[in-house]
Amino acid sequence: MSRKSERLVNLTIALLATKRYLTKAEIFKSIEGYEGSDESKERMFERDKDDLRSLGIEIEVGGFDPLFMDEAGYRIKPETYRLDLGELSGTDIALLSLAAQAWNGQALSEAAHSAVVKLKSIGIDSDVDSIPTLAPRVSSSTAELTSLLDAIATRTPIFFTYLSQDLEKLPRQVRPYAIASKGGHWYFAGFDIEKAAMRTFRLDRVSGEITIGAETHSFEIPQGFDLLQNFETDTKSSTAVLEVRKDKAFVLRKDAKVLKDLGEWELISVEYSNSNTFIDQVLWHMDDVFVVEPKELQDSITEILEKLVVLHE
Amino acid sequence: MNRNRPTPIVHTERLLALVPYISTHQGVSTSELAAMFNVSVAQINNDLMTLWMCGLPGYTPLELMDLSFESGFVTIHNAPTLQSPRSLNSDEIVALLFGLDLILDSISKDSSLISNVKELIERLSNKSPIHSRLRATNPVAGSLRAIIENSLNEKGALKINYHSLYSDSYSDRIISPLEMYSESGVEYLLSYCSTAKAFRTFRLDRIESAQSATLDLSSHLNQQTNSSPDVAYSIKVIERSRLMKERFSIPEVEDDEEIQLHSFSEQWIRRSICASSGSAQLIHPIEIRLEIAEKAQQLLERYRQAKSA
Repeated sequence: MSRKSERLVNLTIALLATKRYLTKAEIFKSIEGYEGSDESKERMFERDKDDLRSLGIEIEVGGFDPLFMDEAGYRIKPETYRLDLGELSGTDIALLSLAAQAWNGQALSEAAHSAVVKLKSIGIDSDVDSIPTLAPRVSSSTAELTSLLDAIATRTPIFFTYLSQDLEKLPRQVRPYAIASKGGHWYFAGFDIEKAAMRTFRLDRVSGEITIGAETHSFEIPQGFDLLQNFETDTKSSTAVLEVRKDKAFVLRKDAKVLKDLGEWELISVEYSNSNTFIDQVLWHMDDVFVVEPKELQDSITEILEKLVVLHE
Repeated sequence: MNRNRPTPIVHTERLLALVPYISTHQGVSTSELAAMFNVSVAQINNDLMTLWMCGLPGYTPLELMDLSFESGFVTIHNAPTLQSPRSLNSDEIVALLFGLDLILDSISKDSSLISNVKELIERLSNKSPIHSRLRATNPVAGSLRAIIENSLNEKGALKINYHSLYSDSYSDRIISPLEMYSESGVEYLLSYCSTAKAFRTFRLDRIESAQSATLDLSSHLNQQTNSSPDVAYSIKVIERSRLMKERFSIPEVEDDEEIQLHSFSEQWIRRSICASSGSAQLIHPIEIRLEIAEKAQQLLERYRQAKSA
């Protein structure tokens, strides 16, 4: 194990230190560890290049020297190898370290930790006192989160089975655009190929695994596409007027406007988006809430109450 | 993004990360390195041995890195090529971007730090493999969570203002947090509640405020604890729905099936049945069932009156 990693480290050092492109012949001659026949050296080098690339190290190919006609050369540009986030202050380091802590025990905790090691290696002291005491935490997710991130990064369609509202498990084909967490759940949005429209899915309603398709880079994602912003803009379209018992129904009162004091009751107006969800919320409060407007909502609630009476008498 | 990498690759990655870390932490102990890199001290020694053999082509003492670690404390010299830390990989950038968005959500909008965080998000986004915004919010404010985690670590008490959904009321309580856990996207705090003199479970997202408090231990220990009530109930599925499956935490739902369940509160059962649009029928306990019928009837009268008026 260490012979191989030793060679990879030496290769990295040599390719980083060189000011010009190194040819394969030079590499085999000068870097320790390339042994055996020409063919086996060749194979070793090809594998080593792939391995370094899998670590995110960019190896540049070029520098065809006119004297040596078609021989390619290799180097690693220090500017692509080195961490460069611009000038960072102690406060910035503290904020980035705190951001990494949010993954504690979660899907990307290893990546978050290795980022912290790199940040610490810069040698700028983290100025913890300059930021408030916070414990940001990402919501827990299924193992599919990383597959999904890979698919979005490589712009590859995904296939999965999704639990519909009426509990049907239906196959979906989606070009994933974005991912976000809200209210303790992870959501992803994308272009549903069969429905030919944008759809949003809750990750924990995906049943089984997410399969990543074969066609990478097969679609474009609008730059800066923001799933949560989209959430916020298509909600809160309707207004209801409610009579609410005083000191009750705090959930409904949260963003409500008080219209009138009715003694034991109050008249309030509330904005809502999905009428089914809103009805459930109203009925959760039973006889502490009465819908005054709109009439359609009154009718739906009357219907449900009739059902409830029949079912429970 | 590459996970589950073979051993030599992981090893190489660690070797490349060790050099810059030691360079800025000259004299660091091998045990500290072991903790930082999440491996044994023996492995760190092994890594240092390997690095000791590495350097520029030529591999004479002039080209090799100058490492010393026999004393258990590590110094490194003559390693200019690998000295600066490597650029962040895709996973690292993505992890940091989600974390920064959470921080943005947790600091007050007028804080001068907002611009720092936004600037960092901007810089990382430019290097991110993902072109859409990576957004994360959490129903529990970061400042509140810090207070709760601190009390868990210090085994201290908290004074909280709690909003109970099922009793639809706010209350001030003194609690001793014992354990935090998460279930179906909701986080809970199991605590001993000195106010109720019993073990209680609180939803983190319903804790409106918290501050550390002192606890009168004598009254605490001498009290007999009565654990949370556990109410057995059964429902019949009238109409299958995802909403119902999630609300009652039923693994598989079939129409017309009678399901035995447990809850911590009668109020919760009553409200949940009412909020299920008639897709669930409560079978037991019979008292709650009749109460639902009665309340629904009264409310129905009110709607009918309004309609005829």
